[in-house]
Amino acid sequence: MSGRLRNALTRVRAVVGIAIAQLRHDRTRTVLSVLGITLAVLATTLLGGVGIGVVETGEEQFDASGRDLWVTGGPITLAPGTVGGFENTVVDAHEISAAIEAREDVNTAVPMAFQTVYVSTDGEDWETLVGTGAPGRGPSVQVSEGQAFQHKDIHYADGNYSGPMTHEVIIDQRTADMFNVSVGDTLHIGGTISDARANEFTVVGISPTFSRFLGTPTVTLHLSELQEVTGTTATDRASLITVDLKDGADPATVAQEIEREHPEYEVRTNREQLEATLERQAVVLASGGSLVVLAVLAGITLTANLLVSVVYQQRRELAALKALGSRTRTLVGIVVVQALFLGLIGGLLGVAATIPLGMGLDAVAASLVGFENVVRTPPWVLGAGVAIAVPISLIGAAVAGWQVSRLSPVDGLR
Amino acid sequence: MSRIDPDDAAQQPTPVVNAVGVGRTYRRGQAGLLGRNSDATVVTALDDVSAAINRGELVGIAGPSGSGKSTLLHLLAALDTPTTGRIEIGGTNTAELSERARSRLRRDHIGIVFQRFHLLPALTAQQNVALPFIEWGVGKSERRDRAELLLHRVGLGDRLTHRPAELSGGEQQRVAVARALAGEPELLIADEPTGELDSEAGANVLDLLADVADDRAVIVASHDQAVLERVDRIIRLRDGQVVTDA
Repeated sequence: MSGRLRNALTRVRAVVGIAIAQLRHDRTRTVLSVLGITLAVLATTLLGGVGIGVVETGEEQFDASGRDLWVTGGPITLAPGTVGGFENTVVDAHEISAAIEAREDVNTAVPMAFQTVYVSTDGEDWETLVGTGAPGRGPSVQVSEGQAFQHKDIHYADGNYSGPMTHEVIIDQRTADMFNVSVGDTLHIGGTISDARANEFTVVGISPTFSRFLGTPTVTLHLSELQEVTGTTATDRASLITVDLKDGADPATVAQEIEREHPEYEVRTNREQLEATLERQAVVLASGGSLVVLAVLAGITLTANLLVSVVYQQRRELAALKALGSRTRTLVGIVVVQALFLGLIGGLLGVAATIPLGMGLDAVAASLVGFENVVRTPPWVLGAGVAIAVPISLIGAAVAGWQVSRLSPVDGLR
Repeated sequence: MSRIDPDDAAQQPTPVVNAVGVGRTYRRGQAGLLGRNSDATVVTALDDVSAAINRGELVGIAGPSGSGKSTLLHLLAALDTPTTGRIEIGGTNTAELSERARSRLRRDHIGIVFQRFHLLPALTAQQNVALPFIEWGVGKSERRDRAELLLHRVGLGDRLTHRPAELSGGEQQRVAVARALAGEPELLIADEPTGELDSEAGANVLDLLADVADDRAVIVASHDQAVLERVDRIIRLRDGQVVTDA
């Protein structure tokens, strides 16, 4: 090793030693700064983890639905003041579904509707829940207790709504707990309280499928029976039609063809449907992004504040060292090494805290909306957390280093 | 570390520091647009000051506030350069050096003791004294050993691991003297070294400065009569000019 390099390494080691001594000496400020960086990293990893979790969970949910295409008449929106409370934009849903299902490349086309319904066990105490009109059968429906629907939607009767009502309902576990009911018990369900009093449904199964899909407790009826109890049989409205394609059919091509045949409706693939859903959450996503930016800025500010205050407090001492011939780069090095230590410790703590806090958030999200694994922190997210701590600390160091470089050695003599 | 050859110094009576016709002016006034002084006046801090200080001399610089003491001290310490005339340290004209070269000159040839000690509070006495050695690439154990020797020399061999807050003012100033001596400088400059000390601690520091002046030039700027009574020679300034040098 050349003497010059050895001298440089000796200087670096000395600078690291002084930096650590400074951090240990100013413990309160060190702890506060590390905390600031930790919080910035946590905000980044947790919000990033939520974003990834939402997208991945959404994809998994769409994939698990066993559907390839989603036919809608536009976004499903609330319609205050109407029975059911949802603006279901697919009209003549059964006929259109039948037409789509008649295609050679389509296995099934199933209309689904969402309506707000009144639910009660005794016809006296009411709760409003989302009612789903769906087939409620087939391999895509997971049943944890009881069974799925055993019949097709026989009440529809080719559009006459004259077939017998099965009065079967599938509920999720949270609804079962809410009403303290299980398989075999009955629930009054209707778009109005009088309709609900007149229609008593028997719980045939407990299933998480529909509540997971909607992220809220739900009661699932046959579509025509939901239309019947919410008064939407006249126009046969549904929220959407799900399409399951035969093997080998290209979803994009089939979607284009269906759109040509039914230009009043939008046909989306799973990914397009997920993207459309996320686009409607643009404000939420932007808020999350803003929080990350704010957290990072706060981390930068805290670190810069710590280092600048150290430089300010010791400006005379640092100026004195300059007067004694210390190189500016040595003094700046002391500040930069302090910043790197703060960033590294803050980053590692942030990443370490991400895992338990992510699990906690996951548990809260699962209890609130029914989705599990909403917070996902793959290794690259954790790595990004540490990576973001470094520029946070270095920007802080740059500000402080600039101050050190501006110190005049004459200041030591004042 | 480059050094001035003592043999050469003995053969040729080159002063350690030589001020020749030194003048220093400053522009003062209100800053106008684009940072220019729209209404600046030129203030003369020093005017035609000459003084040569040799190895083994303990020289005091005295004078009332505004007399130019600090300005002269800055120039002699190579912290600043004169507007006119020249300052030679070991025969080198400081005005011809870049900022970096002046920094190296200070590192290798000048020690400075400050009125308020200016020790890093996070470091022990030994670590503070060892700081200048970092720039010369001296290894950790050697830094420690040399700092310990210096602290023994200033009578603080039993305070190696004490931080500045754990030391008295006099002890802190002695640590600062030890730090200033780290590079075995030919020139030691002390700015009001007893200004923050009681008389007993001040006397101890003066003893120390007198002791180290045996083999180097020591310049002490002070208002303190007790200090000025101990020096070999006093350069008295008034209004930027040397009034007496004796």
